[in-house]
Amino acid sequence: MKAAAVAAVATAFAWLLLRAESQTSISLLLLLAVAAGVAAARLRFRLSGPSVLAFAAVAVLALLLREDDFSLLLLTRILIVVVACLGLNVQFGYAGVVNFAGASFFGVGGYTAAILAPRLPHLLVLLLGGAAAALVGSILILPVLRTRGHYAALVTIAFALLFRTFLEVNDTLGGPQGLKLPELVIGPFHFNDPVFDASFYLRYVALGLVLAALALGVVQRLERSWIGVALDAVRLDEIAAASFGLSIARWKIAAFTIGNFITGVAGALSAFMIGFIAPNNYAFSESLILVSILLLGGIGNPWGLALASAIVIVLPEKLQTIQEYRFLIFAAVVILILLFRPAGLLPRPLRRLKT
Amino acid sequence: MRFAAVALIALLSFAARAKETVRIAFIGPLTGGNSAIGLGGRNSADLAVRLRNADAKAKYTYDLVVLDDECKPDAGVQMATKAGSDRTIVGGVTNYCSVVAMAAVDTYHRFGLPVIVWGAVLPDITYKNDFKEVHRVNGTMINQNQTNAKFMSEHGYKNVAIIHDTTDYGKGHDKYFTQFFTQSGGKIAGDFGVTADQQDFTAELTQLKGLKPDALYFGGLTPIGVRIRAQMDKLGLGVQFDGTSGIVNDDFIKALGPNAEGALAFREGAPAEKLAHGKEFLEQYNKQGYTQPPEAYGPFAYAAAVLLMDAIEKAGPDRKKIIAQLSPAHVKDVESIVGKITFDDHGQNTVPVITKYVVQDGKWVMWEDSEYASGKRKLAK
Repeated sequence: MKAAAVAAVATAFAWLLLRAESQTSISLLLLLAVAAGVAAARLRFRLSGPSVLAFAAVAVLALLLREDDFSLLLLTRILIVVVACLGLNVQFGYAGVVNFAGASFFGVGGYTAAILAPRLPHLLVLLLGGAAAALVGSILILPVLRTRGHYAALVTIAFALLFRTFLEVNDTLGGPQGLKLPELVIGPFHFNDPVFDASFYLRYVALGLVLAALALGVVQRLERSWIGVALDAVRLDEIAAASFGLSIARWKIAAFTIGNFITGVAGALSAFMIGFIAPNNYAFSESLILVSILLLGGIGNPWGLALASAIVIVLPEKLQTIQEYRFLIFAAVVILILLFRPAGLLPRPLRRLKT
Repeated sequence: MRFAAVALIALLSFAARAKETVRIAFIGPLTGGNSAIGLGGRNSADLAVRLRNADAKAKYTYDLVVLDDECKPDAGVQMATKAGSDRTIVGGVTNYCSVVAMAAVDTYHRFGLPVIVWGAVLPDITYKNDFKEVHRVNGTMINQNQTNAKFMSEHGYKNVAIIHDTTDYGKGHDKYFTQFFTQSGGKIAGDFGVTADQQDFTAELTQLKGLKPDALYFGGLTPIGVRIRAQMDKLGLGVQFDGTSGIVNDDFIKALGPNAEGALAFREGAPAEKLAHGKEFLEQYNKQGYTQPPEAYGPFAYAAAVLLMDAIEKAGPDRKKIIAQLSPAHVKDVESIVGKITFDDHGQNTVPVITKYVVQDGKWVMWEDSEYASGKRKLAK
């Protein structure tokens, strides 16, 4: 009951915020959100309920916004970023493998989609986007396994920089001008046709929801299973884990590959939706934004990163009215949140195996 | 007394209401590496709107909705969707970055939003599709390099080496200069692509020196242009330096000092101070107290905003009618601060003026006014 009420309130709030245009209404709504957040933290408000509720809330929100192309585009972007971050979450949050090249794997998915889309059915292309990201990741994992801590981080940063330069000088991949993608077609659905009178973005929201549900299902089951326990052990203490017979390399490879696959699929869908990709989209700074979503949400908690994704995408957008100062304000907000909640908005709870 | 006050208020509110407010969008990079040019463009478009709003003869009051595309295609599509799906916005002055413009034209077309590109130079933006919504006031790299190549062959340069950066900007310049220069009988001695943040060019320049070119064409922006020009001297490579619009700014001369002397460059548009309206533009711009300079493309953003508002004045705030008003039939030899504007079937301005520049005594001087043209000084061979 409580969860249903929260979902309804959150939907109403999101609807108001996405439609708000004036500076006063946006500031009022944001203040309200901060107040609600602080109150919830003070009252030690705990929320548990079926995940279905959250997805239902997003679906209802999409239907409420059915004619508003821009809000639906934002909503789909949030869902795509959630999926990408769920992938990173497996790496950072569970196995403790650092990956500062999230946007690069996102980009591998996007470029794979751009190249294969004219030739293969698009549902397969989405999966191949993930597979390509996993494949590229399986090469990068070699130096990552040989290094630790800051050094492993440096390896992934180097890869992120290299990836962007590679795209820029590679003319078969469109070079700096990028590539155009055809319309996404899955079965009988042409994604760029309007849905009755409503926006064509409704189909993208639906597909985003399906992907997010699948990714969430995989990640949550992974966490609850013995695999999740093994990954946690590897992250917390490699020596202890090894002495219990866990193969560190094996679990790191597993987490890295699964994570990159999920991120790659998200990248492929993103490329289809924007219809155009270029190296600028996959810069190192984008990887940092993905990592900051994890930190802001609370590493390891899928719901935390969902909330953080919404903030990171919607806030700069709603700050457009202050033009060139928006990222300044946005960055200040992120720092403030982390100052008061150093473990993120929704830190990962302990695993409760009995329910 | 009270009656008079009521009447006055009624009159005032009537006067205020008599003008309908029309919203137009400005889209450009306000944050990130290209923000200087984006903010200059934003200020210039804002200036056009302010001047129009101060004009009692204008039929409408204009409201400029400023959106930041961050010079990223995904953000650009997002902003194009925002402007396009907002039915109160009737037109836009959009895009400096070519990639973003390429990504966004489909969205403008989908939503039927008339836009005038104010800075992106990639030819494909207007020529790849047949979108009636998309127009452009600035010239493309094609025009600039056509003039450049012609100039070089006319002045007896036959064998030119190229260094360009690997961004869309540098690569495009490389492509079109090569095309036009070889067409006019010239030869490309060598072609080197470098990343936009490279520091040391000894390897490229040494190799290039062996090729014995009579000039070095550089397609890129000021920072590496400065490094290359400085390192040429160190290696004793004294050939003519031929640049693009990307180096026509004071920073290039400031960083190089006397070494900048004799460098050539080509840019779209006549210099603002050379045009009657251009002078007015600079005066008004300074009067408004903007904290950033208009930069190279500010005048284009201003001209685009004026052109759009003129179309709205004539056609009314209706997207379809504005598009009709911006068709080649109506936009022909329209006076603007960047020279005359004439749109072709693709909405491309076909008479973009290209100005030739040469550095003389620490200043970018128009070629025709320089001592190099009069024969007093000579370009390097």
